[in-house]
Amino acid sequence: MPRASLIALLMAAPLAAHAQTSAPVTNGASQVNITLTGDNGGACVIDHPVAKAGPVTFAVTNKTATAITEIELQSNNRILGEKENLAPGLPTVTFTVTLGGGTYQIYCPGAKQETQAFTVTGQAAATPSGSIGTILADGTKGYARYVDDVVAGMVTAVARLKAAIDAGDLTKARNEYPQAHAFYERIESDVDGFVLPGFKATDNAGNLDYLIDMRASNLDPKVGWHGFHAIERDLFQTNQITDGTRQLAAELQKNVDVLDKQVKTLDYKPEDLANGAADLLEEVQSTKISGEEESFSHYDLVDFAGNVEGAQQAFAFLEPGLEKIDLDFTRRIQTQFAMVMKMLDSYRDPKVPGGYKLYTSEIKTADATKLSKAIQALQEPLSKIAEKVATAQ
Amino acid sequence: MPTDNKFSNVHRRGFLLSAALGGIGAAAPHAATAADNEDSVDLTQQYPFYGNAEQAGIRTPPQRHIFFMTFDLTSTQRRDLQVLLARWSAAIAQLVKGETIGQVEPDRAEASGFDTGEALNLGPASLTVTVGLGPRVFTDTYGLAAQKPALLRELRQLPSDAFRPELTGGDLSLQACADDPQVAYHAIRDLARIAKVTGTAATKWAVLGFGRASAGKGQATPRNLLGFRDGTRNIKEDADFEKFVWLKDAPDWQRNGSYQIARKIQMRIENWDTNRVSHQNDVFGRHKMSGAPLTGTAEFDTPDFQKTKADGTLLIPDTAHIRLAAFENNDGLRILRRSYNYTEGINQYGFLDAGLLFISYQNDPAAFETLQTKLGSADALNEYITHLGSAVFFVPPAPPEGSYLAEGMFATA
Repeated sequence: MPRASLIALLMAAPLAAHAQTSAPVTNGASQVNITLTGDNGGACVIDHPVAKAGPVTFAVTNKTATAITEIELQSNNRILGEKENLAPGLPTVTFTVTLGGGTYQIYCPGAKQETQAFTVTGQAAATPSGSIGTILADGTKGYARYVDDVVAGMVTAVARLKAAIDAGDLTKARNEYPQAHAFYERIESDVDGFVLPGFKATDNAGNLDYLIDMRASNLDPKVGWHGFHAIERDLFQTNQITDGTRQLAAELQKNVDVLDKQVKTLDYKPEDLANGAADLLEEVQSTKISGEEESFSHYDLVDFAGNVEGAQQAFAFLEPGLEKIDLDFTRRIQTQFAMVMKMLDSYRDPKVPGGYKLYTSEIKTADATKLSKAIQALQEPLSKIAEKVATAQ
Repeated sequence: MPTDNKFSNVHRRGFLLSAALGGIGAAAPHAATAADNEDSVDLTQQYPFYGNAEQAGIRTPPQRHIFFMTFDLTSTQRRDLQVLLARWSAAIAQLVKGETIGQVEPDRAEASGFDTGEALNLGPASLTVTVGLGPRVFTDTYGLAAQKPALLRELRQLPSDAFRPELTGGDLSLQACADDPQVAYHAIRDLARIAKVTGTAATKWAVLGFGRASAGKGQATPRNLLGFRDGTRNIKEDADFEKFVWLKDAPDWQRNGSYQIARKIQMRIENWDTNRVSHQNDVFGRHKMSGAPLTGTAEFDTPDFQKTKADGTLLIPDTAHIRLAAFENNDGLRILRRSYNYTEGINQYGFLDAGLLFISYQNDPAAFETLQTKLGSADALNEYITHLGSAVFFVPPAPPEGSYLAEGMFATA
């Protein structure tokens, strides 16, 4: 489609939108259904392209669209929410975001019309007021302090790692590596959107998460390999500290310092904590269970524990408010967390740096299913928290 | 924009042999008639992926090229397997129409393409991609132990087995057949990417084949690399498909499925080529040129397995390939063969590295075992071939639109 007609289309959309009724509101969240079909060369059908300011839950169902596998909610190219791995026949997936008044874009790559306007009427959602809202808001402040503390701890640990590398002490560097990296695993979900000043959100050269934690499997050749795992390769695969390793450590320290400053400026909404916790569990499932995260050092169980701790902390700061919203539900999640923690305890080994056994192929073969099932049992209920806390009054 | 990627205005047609004389009309949107199929290639022809019976690529008259690949599952999570089968299904539905599976040149310069692009404008080329599920899919790991098709299991050891581990087994199989080798290759390449991106499966072994070596209905019988017609007595009639190929008495999600057996069979080409033709004919039990049985004059003459020469010896020897394989000599047992020739250049000893990618479909893997036990023990051909690799899969039926392959097996448990 020529660019001009796309712009015309986007401009036309708000006019058409006035004829539409706002999305219905259930339990305080606007409910928008997006249905993907194979009609007319692939269509992304939004049942209500208009919603009132506040929490909006998007329920995405791929009915027959074989060319569309993902969908994003954007605000001027900033991704606010997205779902991948959509295909006909799979169950409906949902995501909830709190939106202020304005025009957003629903981006469906592969559809005939890839970008559609989504209009939110009214002001930005007011900060939740009343008792539950206040309790949750207090929780987010507590969580912000937790994140600050974790990143401060990482700054110190990375300095120790760098000192060992600078000194050319391979043994000491290998001991420091898992301890420094574990800090990152607790809060990595909060780093996802950080972009260095002057860079586009889509440029990995300015993507803090990329620069700090990218694995060999997802490298951007234009930007190259930086951060923890490039260091891990030197320390555990090539078994050599070179000038390149020192350069990597210096970069890492610089980027962690940037992160330290950034996180101190952050305010969180309650659903940010919930989504962050869910993201950390996804991290466990996608890269720790498989042993992909620490493919050279095999400290995956340290990272696993770090992700779980970060998720558990985010949940803990929501707990007081969440208990008032739905006590039974909160108890169920507490139980699942306890089971995961107990299981993780069985892998503790104080003699190993980081405090957990190495994730050997023997352990993986024997226990991967058990580990992933335990996390799945936690993931399901945990994924429902965001909508509950975002809609709390 | 996606419309730019479509082939819809392209009519790339090629003709081979008698098709030039056949006066074929405008391109049919779907499967052409049997007469059209005979020795012709129409690159605009397409077969639908979705349906209510078997997957395409089994009964489908064999296309000219194949890329066959098996995969090992790398995830222990049921949902990953579900997502992979759903994403594969959606992608295959795109590919068989000659369309891309997503952006080739994404709007964001830093993004990598969803589709690798090498099949742009090549047309559907009769592409079919047939998906198989290996025995290890049906385990407690995925909560699918109870869903295992009744007769799915690893094949028992057979007299001809000389397997290399790296060419054997797999948890999933993809059989892509097309009249353009690049279309088949692209399909497998992009489907393998999806397996990697979703972290669900890793490639195991693969064979790129050419020159179909088994005839489908309405096709002239093609030849294998030993120069003989292959598939003269293959299953072609619907009644035989019903009887020997499809699972009928099975749970809904398995009905019209089949068992797929793939064998990589190396041929000792140089030895064969220097062999006297009378011996070659005796090895097969047929005449090389006409394909007629040694007891007849035309390809489709029924072999007379009792007929003797003047000296009292059998015209079709005891060890002839067609005698051992014939349904008359195996209690009526038949399997569908859908094989292709392959070559991988020259091997480490300086020999032509070539052979047959044997693929068969049957409603009981034991049918193959019975025939191969006999062939593997006594076939005169064994002097010239080695079975290097093997794998067995259950091939579920085609999904209806809006569903995905084997969705039904996730419905319970």
